[in-house]
Amino acid sequence: MNKYIRQHLKKMIAAVIIISVGLFLGFNLKNINNKPGDGNLLKSEYTGGTSSVKEANEIQELKIYDTWTHYTTGNGLPSDKINCVKADGDRIWIGTDKGLAIMEGNRITEVYHKEDGLAHNNVVSLEVSQTTGDVWIGTMGGLNRYSAGKFETFNQFNSGMPNDVVYQVYCVDKYVWVATGGGAGSYDIYNKKWEIFTEQNAPMHEPWTYGISGGDGKVYIAAWGGGVIEYEMETGQMRDYVDPDEEMEIDLFPDDGVVHDITTGTSYAEGILWVGTYFGMSRYDGARWKGYFDHDSGLASNFINFTKAQGKAVWLCTDNGLSNFNGETWITYRPVPESKKGEVIITWGEDKKTLITNSTISHNFIWGMDFQDDVIWIASAKGLSKGEASGKLMANAD
Amino acid sequence: MARRYTVSLVLIICFLLVDQVVVMAQRYKEKEDKNEQNYGNTPDEIFPFSRFQEPYIRHFIHPAQPYLGPGRDKPEPTDLEEVRIGFLGPMEGSNIIEYGTQMRQGAVLAMEEANTRGGYKGLPYKLMLHNDVGLWGAAANEVVKMDDEGVWAILGTIDDINTHVALRVALKVEICMMNTGDPDPTLTETNIPWLLRVISDDRQSSYALATYMYQEKGLKRAAVLRTNSRYGRVGTGEFKATSERMGHPVLFELRYTDGETDFRGQLENIKKSSADAIVLWGNPKELGLIVKQMKELGMEHPVFACDRLVDPKFIEYAGEGNIEGIVATKQYKPDMSYPKYRDFHNAYVKRFGIEPDVFAAHAYDGMNIIIQSIEIGGLNRAKIRDVMLDLETFQGYEGVTGTMYFDASWNDIGEIHMVKIEDGEFVYFPRPEFKSEKASSSTKEISDK
Repeated sequence: MNKYIRQHLKKMIAAVIIISVGLFLGFNLKNINNKPGDGNLLKSEYTGGTSSVKEANEIQELKIYDTWTHYTTGNGLPSDKINCVKADGDRIWIGTDKGLAIMEGNRITEVYHKEDGLAHNNVVSLEVSQTTGDVWIGTMGGLNRYSAGKFETFNQFNSGMPNDVVYQVYCVDKYVWVATGGGAGSYDIYNKKWEIFTEQNAPMHEPWTYGISGGDGKVYIAAWGGGVIEYEMETGQMRDYVDPDEEMEIDLFPDDGVVHDITTGTSYAEGILWVGTYFGMSRYDGARWKGYFDHDSGLASNFINFTKAQGKAVWLCTDNGLSNFNGETWITYRPVPESKKGEVIITWGEDKKTLITNSTISHNFIWGMDFQDDVIWIASAKGLSKGEASGKLMANAD
Repeated sequence: MARRYTVSLVLIICFLLVDQVVVMAQRYKEKEDKNEQNYGNTPDEIFPFSRFQEPYIRHFIHPAQPYLGPGRDKPEPTDLEEVRIGFLGPMEGSNIIEYGTQMRQGAVLAMEEANTRGGYKGLPYKLMLHNDVGLWGAAANEVVKMDDEGVWAILGTIDDINTHVALRVALKVEICMMNTGDPDPTLTETNIPWLLRVISDDRQSSYALATYMYQEKGLKRAAVLRTNSRYGRVGTGEFKATSERMGHPVLFELRYTDGETDFRGQLENIKKSSADAIVLWGNPKELGLIVKQMKELGMEHPVFACDRLVDPKFIEYAGEGNIEGIVATKQYKPDMSYPKYRDFHNAYVKRFGIEPDVFAAHAYDGMNIIIQSIEIGGLNRAKIRDVMLDLETFQGYEGVTGTMYFDASWNDIGEIHMVKIEDGEFVYFPRPEFKSEKASSSTKEISDK
C-alpha cells in the first residue's frame, strides 16, 4: 500500500477512534450535566482562569417561562408598539410610541402624553433611580424626570444634554447617564450639571451612542460604530473595546473581542459584560471575550435590539424572538406563526430541544424587557407580555 | 478468516477515502460559493485577510437582513390631503449647500412629474424639507420631526455623519430611507433593514482608483492628502486598505481642515518624500487650491482624487493650466446620448435654469424609486420598505444615472466611472478591470453588465 495513504489512514483511524471516544464521553457528560425539565437547567463547573473569572463563569439556573399574558390598546395602553418596560416595585412603567403608561395590579392606571409634560410621546427608554426613586424617561424629544407626580424636561436647549433622542438611561448614585444620538451624557442631580462624552473627549470615532449600563464602579457605553466604551467612575479613565479585525463586512475570529463595532446595547452584572450588536452577541468575563451568533448557538437572531443581564445570565431582545443564556444553555422564546402557541427552543452544545407552549410573547420583534420578582415583562413591537414560569410545560413537541 | 478481515479493511479504507474526497469537495465548493459572494464586488485579493485567513463570518451576503417586525396590516389612512415624503439635506449653515440645493431640486423634479401624472391615487406628493446641518445628532431630531409630520419615506442626505444619525432613528420610528448622496461605505454596513442607497460608495471609488494607479499606470508609492473630516477619513480608509492589499501601502497621509487655503506645508513634505503619486480627498475648492499650489511648488506628481473633484468649481480654483491629466472617479456619466439622462437634463435645466450635477441626478432617481415603492406598496411604511428593499423590484433599475445593482446590504454596486481631465475637460472612460487570476465571478458579472 502506498506509504502516503498508509500514513494518512493511520491518522484518520486514530482520529475516528479519538472522536468517537470524545463524542461518547461528551454525550454522556452533557446528559449528566444538562437536563432540561421542571423549569431548571444547570451546568458544569469552570476550572480555569483567575478566581474572579471563575466566579463569573459559574452557571446560573434558567427558568422556562411558559405562561404568558398580553396587554394591548384593548387594555388601555396608548399603543401596541411597546418600546420599553420598567418594573418599579408593584408598578410597571410602559413606554410606547404614543405615550407612557403605568400598570398596577394588571390594570393600566395612568397614561401620559406630551400635554401632561412628557418631552415627546415616543418613549424609548425607562430607568428608576435607586438613589432617589425618581423615574427617568428617555424619549425621542428629550429626557423626563418623573418625581412627586410631576414631569421635568431636559433637552439640548434647556440643559445642555447631548441630544434629544435618548436611546437609553442608566442611573447610578447621583448620576443619570444617557445614551443619545449625539453622544453620551452624565447628569449630576445634585450639582445639576451635564458632562458630555463624544469623539472629542472619549475614545470613540463618532459620538453616536445607543446603549448604556454599568456596575462595579464602571459605565459601559455602546458606541455605534465604536464598540464599547468603558468609563471608570472613580478616575474618569476611559478605554474602548472594539472588534480587532477592524472590518465591517466580516468577523475574522468570533472570540477575539466584540463581534462587531455596531453595538446596540451593553449590560453588566456579577462580573460579566454582555454586548448586543446587530451582528451577534459578545460576552466578556474580564479576561476573555466570547462571541455568539444565531448559526452557532441558540441565539434567536443576530439582530439584537436590547440586552439585559440578570445575575450571571443574560436576556437578549431580538427581531426574531427572546433569548435567555447563562453561558452554557440557551432558551429562546418565539411565537409559532399563525398560531397563539409558542416555541421554547432549548439549546445546549450541539443539542436542541423544542417545546410548544399554549401561550407566548406577543410578537417576535422585541424592543425591551425587565424583571419583577419571578415575572418577566416583554416590550414587543405589537403588545406587552407578562411571562411566568409555572414549573410545568404545556406540551412537548419532540 | 484472514480474507474476511482483509475485505473488511479494504472496505473501511475505501469508505474513509471516499469520505475524505467528499469532504474536500464540499470544502472546495463552499469556498467557491463564498468567492462568488464577495461583499461589495470585492476581488479576492483585496478582500480583508484573504491571503491569511477565511473569516469566521462574512456579513452582507445573501440573504439580506429581513425586517421581521409588524406593521404590514395597518390600513391606509383615508383622511389625507397629501402624501408627504421627507427630505434631509444641507440647506443652510453648511459648506455643501450647493450640493444640497441640487439634491433638493432633483427630488422636487421627480415629485412634480409624479404629481403631473396624478400623484398617488389623486393625492399630491409633498416634500417636507429639513436641514441636516448643525450640532452632531441634530439629524436625529429632524427625523423625529418628520415622523411627527407623517412622512412615508425619507430622502437624504449627503453628510455621512448626519445620515448615520438619521438612520438609527429611522429604524426606531420605522421609516424607510433613500440615500442618494453619501458615499460613506459604512453607511450600509449596519444591517439596519430600512435604507437603500442608489449611489456608488467610496469603496467602489477606491477599488477603481487603486486598480488604475497600480495596475494600469504602474505606480507604487502614493501619498494621501485629505480633508480632516469623516468624509475624508472613511473614504481614504478604503483606498489605503486597498493599496496595502495590492502590495503598495500608502507612504503617509496628511490632512487639512475644510476652509484652509494654504497647503504648502503639507505639499512640501510630500515633495521631499519618495511618493510617486498624490491622492486627494475633499471638496472641490480645497482640491483646486491644492493642485494650484502644487504647480507653484514645481511638483509634477500625478494626481488622483475622489469624485468631488469632478466639478467646475475645482477647475475655477485650480486654474485651467494646472489640471491636465488629473484622474478621478465619478458615480455616473452625464451622457446626453443616453435618452433617460437627456430627458432629465433638459427638464432640469428648463425647471431650474442650471446644469444638474451628481446629487441632482441621483436624487431624481432616488425619489422616483420612493414614489414607485409607494405606488406598489401603498401608504404603509412597512410595505413601502418591503418593496424598496426586496432586492428584486429595483434590481437592475435603469435610472438617469445608469443601471443600478444592489448587494445584500442594499448598496448600489453598479458601475463607477473614471474621469480624466484632457484639454481642460472632464473626459469619462470605463474603470479598469482588476487584473487577477482569481477574480471573483461576481466581479466579472457586474463588470460585464
